[in-house]
Amino acid sequence: MNGASWRARLAWPSTLTEPVTSGAPDVTAGVQEREAGSPADNPHFDTALRLTAIALLLRPMGPWFVRPVILAAAVLVLIFPKALRQWQVWGALAVLTGIRIVHDWPLADNHIYLLGYWLLAVSLALRSRDAASTLADASRALIGLAFAFAVLWKVALSPDFIDGRFFRVTLVTDPRFAAAARMIGGLSDEQLRVAREAVALLPHGAELLDPPELFEPARLRLFATASTWGVLVLETMVAALMLLRSRLPDALRHVALLSFCGVTYAFAPVAGFGWLLLVMGLSQVEARQVWLARLYQLTFLVVLFYDEVPWAELLLKFVQQG
Amino acid sequence: MERAVLTLPHMARYVPAAVLAGVAVVQIVLAATLHLSPWKGGGFGMFSTLDHGAFRGVDVVVEAPGRSEQLEIAASLQSEAARAVALPVDWLLRDLAAGIAERERRHERPVSRVTLSVWCAEFDRTTLRGSERPMRTFIYDVPHEHAAR
Repeated sequence: MNGASWRARLAWPSTLTEPVTSGAPDVTAGVQEREAGSPADNPHFDTALRLTAIALLLRPMGPWFVRPVILAAAVLVLIFPKALRQWQVWGALAVLTGIRIVHDWPLADNHIYLLGYWLLAVSLALRSRDAASTLADASRALIGLAFAFAVLWKVALSPDFIDGRFFRVTLVTDPRFAAAARMIGGLSDEQLRVAREAVALLPHGAELLDPPELFEPARLRLFATASTWGVLVLETMVAALMLLRSRLPDALRHVALLSFCGVTYAFAPVAGFGWLLLVMGLSQVEARQVWLARLYQLTFLVVLFYDEVPWAELLLKFVQQG
Repeated sequence: MERAVLTLPHMARYVPAAVLAGVAVVQIVLAATLHLSPWKGGGFGMFSTLDHGAFRGVDVVVEAPGRSEQLEIAASLQSEAARAVALPVDWLLRDLAAGIAERERRHERPVSRVTLSVWCAEFDRTTLRGSERPMRTFIYDVPHEHAAR
């Protein structure tokens, strides 16, 4: 096994501290690290940065004084290879993302925060001697913590997730999930309309004399239950595999993340979050894992198609006509 | 003799994660104390609860001598309303109320007080019937010279 892959397999350093001896520093150490972890050794590093720029272009964000600068920087890093490896460019993007968050605080979605942390991680990694492995470690920590907090909210802080209410209500009220509710949950258009009426909000303390009953077919309940526990299990797996060192193969970590993105963003209308997670996962792929890198790139495109093609409606029409 | 220090490369690896954790903890505290929406603020509470923008709202009542009227939020004030609903704290509610008073004044309608009632939805565990649960009421007395104009 060569030095590069050995270093890349060490996803977490053995300790946060390094022994420092008195006397002259070992000048060869930096050279070895540079050779072992430099972006030149791992083509997926540059691909991850390019896909980050593409994601920025696909989802323009921020007020007028931020948006064009972010778009211009994203174009520059795609055109000029030197700009792609400039820590200042990524640092500026991180700052601009921070400005975008502050500008309309607290309305920014969570993936904008994660994007800001990711851009900061890229900038810091490019300043370090071993950019590829530094970014891979930062990516693991970021994804792991983001998922850990997501699980914490679902399990302990939210009153209506574990008991299934979140998905039971969301499937019938959120128009973005309507096609899934009809196709997988088995609701007709009329049943969906009545279900919406049944969960419609009343003023505090008010009651209808003859309230409409909520009709929930067994398939819909099963879909809501499967969504509740499926999301929870997948998110817990991703958090644990990213944060904990284990003897399990690294591939499991990638399988968990790719499964999460492949399933979740078929329904969840936040492609930007999916692209970001995939880019961060790609940054953890070793140079020799070409097939895995391809899988991340393919899933990036799949999420793009999820976002742009009303696949559920088309499939539903196809099934109904069939 | 050896001593241990936190090295710069390690900081590069973990500073972004430390920032994430710090922001997320603050978000949890704000959600628990000031009713910040779990979906907002960088705590990764999205898709975990029905307590989000689609199930929160604000009722507006404008009062003046001879006038007491419930208003819809104007399109020009949607952004301020969204902020105030996501985090119903005094300064954001005051911004919204002042915007409403200003808009009333521009339309030459009298206004001396704006009352904002922020609510969130609750759904019954079994029947899923929804109702609005009051979260905060904020009263904004329009400054005298403002009201008189």
